[in-house]
Amino acid sequence: MPRHSTRRVLQTFASTVSMVAILPVSVGAQSVQPDKGAQHVVIIKQMHFDPSQLTIQSGGTVEWKNEDIFSHTVTADDGSFDSGLIAPGGSWQMTVKRAGKIGYHCRPHPNMTATLIGQAAAGQQPVPSNAATLKWSPPTSPEEFHPILVNFTAALFPLALLSDIVGRIFRRQSLHNTAWWMVLYAAVITPFTAAAGWWWKLSAGSDLPAKLITVHQWLGTSASVLFIVLAAWRWRIHKRGTSPSLAYLTCALIAVLALIYQGSLGGKMLFEK
Amino acid sequence: MKTIKNYLVAVSTFAALLVIGNLSAYAQAPSNSQIVGIVQAANQIDINISTLALTKTKNPKVKEFANEMISDHTNLEKSVADLAKKLGVTAEPSDTSKQLKQQAADEMKKLRSLRGSAFDKEYAAHEIAFHQAVIDAATKMLIPDAKNAELKSALEEAAPLLQGHLQHAQQLQQSLQSGS
Repeated sequence: MPRHSTRRVLQTFASTVSMVAILPVSVGAQSVQPDKGAQHVVIIKQMHFDPSQLTIQSGGTVEWKNEDIFSHTVTADDGSFDSGLIAPGGSWQMTVKRAGKIGYHCRPHPNMTATLIGQAAAGQQPVPSNAATLKWSPPTSPEEFHPILVNFTAALFPLALLSDIVGRIFRRQSLHNTAWWMVLYAAVITPFTAAAGWWWKLSAGSDLPAKLITVHQWLGTSASVLFIVLAAWRWRIHKRGTSPSLAYLTCALIAVLALIYQGSLGGKMLFEK
Repeated sequence: MKTIKNYLVAVSTFAALLVIGNLSAYAQAPSNSQIVGIVQAANQIDINISTLALTKTKNPKVKEFANEMISDHTNLEKSVADLAKKLGVTAEPSDTSKQLKQQAADEMKKLRSLRGSAFDKEYAAHEIAFHQAVIDAATKMLIPDAKNAELKSALEEAAPLLQGHLQHAQQLQQSLQSGS
């Protein structure tokens, strides 16, 4: 295929990916902002949470202040949040994002238990989606950067595999060339996606489900390394000007399946919390 | 088989420590200085055994537990030392504190000879027996015998901490037995 045709195919893909990626992310980023409510304080002292039961409107913030001489944690019984160790004199805050009753305890001292009751705010109306979606502002936080970047990774690599498979079936070298460039872009952009994810994780602290985030962070980091390896492999194939081997296609398929699983974990953390 | 062995070890350690507590009930009630000495000995025993656990275990849950024991008992030891200083009390040895230290030395020797999961299970079993015995000693002997109101209050406040450690040690033992 002539060079300018390849460029046109790439331009089409790039435009499509950009449109698909950016629009829904803007919707998500704007609509998940919680309504800031009143702040409540729970004192941890003499091996007790005080008050032991707190009712709070969703969107409100609770601060746990450790006035004891021992370190404690604020750990949800269902694992949905964990403060990590709060040193004597330290504190930890959490925004209650959902209605419902949830028990929590201190991990080192399981006899310390308390309950948090989240209530839907009275008269609270959902944010009109049309007002949020049309307003665009440049991303500044990891909660915005990570979902934007992840769309490029999620689109580029599976499309590269698809392009290689179709190119192999129809013996079209132009599709293989397209696949090589998309793998390269995926390998370049994915480390930035992973970095934004780590930034989010470190800034959110333990306000993320512990098990899910552990798998998500290391699978994402591994994927960014794997994509670089696959890009190097794909570059050798590209230099030879041949179709990719079944071994490469199998590895790429495994990477795509891992990417789908990774996406499902991200979705669970964001929407099921 | 190992589970039964660990259980027997825990029960025998617990029984030995209980005997110490009950025997001392027949002896003369400990003085405030001796109570401080017993509390300091108990703190130091758990700090030493947990420090050994940190060097021997590879299990992250056991490491986390040992770190918590070291941190909590160090803080408790400091608060006891501050209170003793405030009350003008100097820690004194007693038969109970000496027996506690002897038991701990035997346990340390045994733990040093173990490795891997055998070490982890023995450490968890010891922590259960140790904390149970200390809770019993505190509620049956130390708190009733404390002659100073502040010392009595401090011991009463330490009881929930020891109860929390006991529950955590029981959870740790369960997770080690289930292999999770």
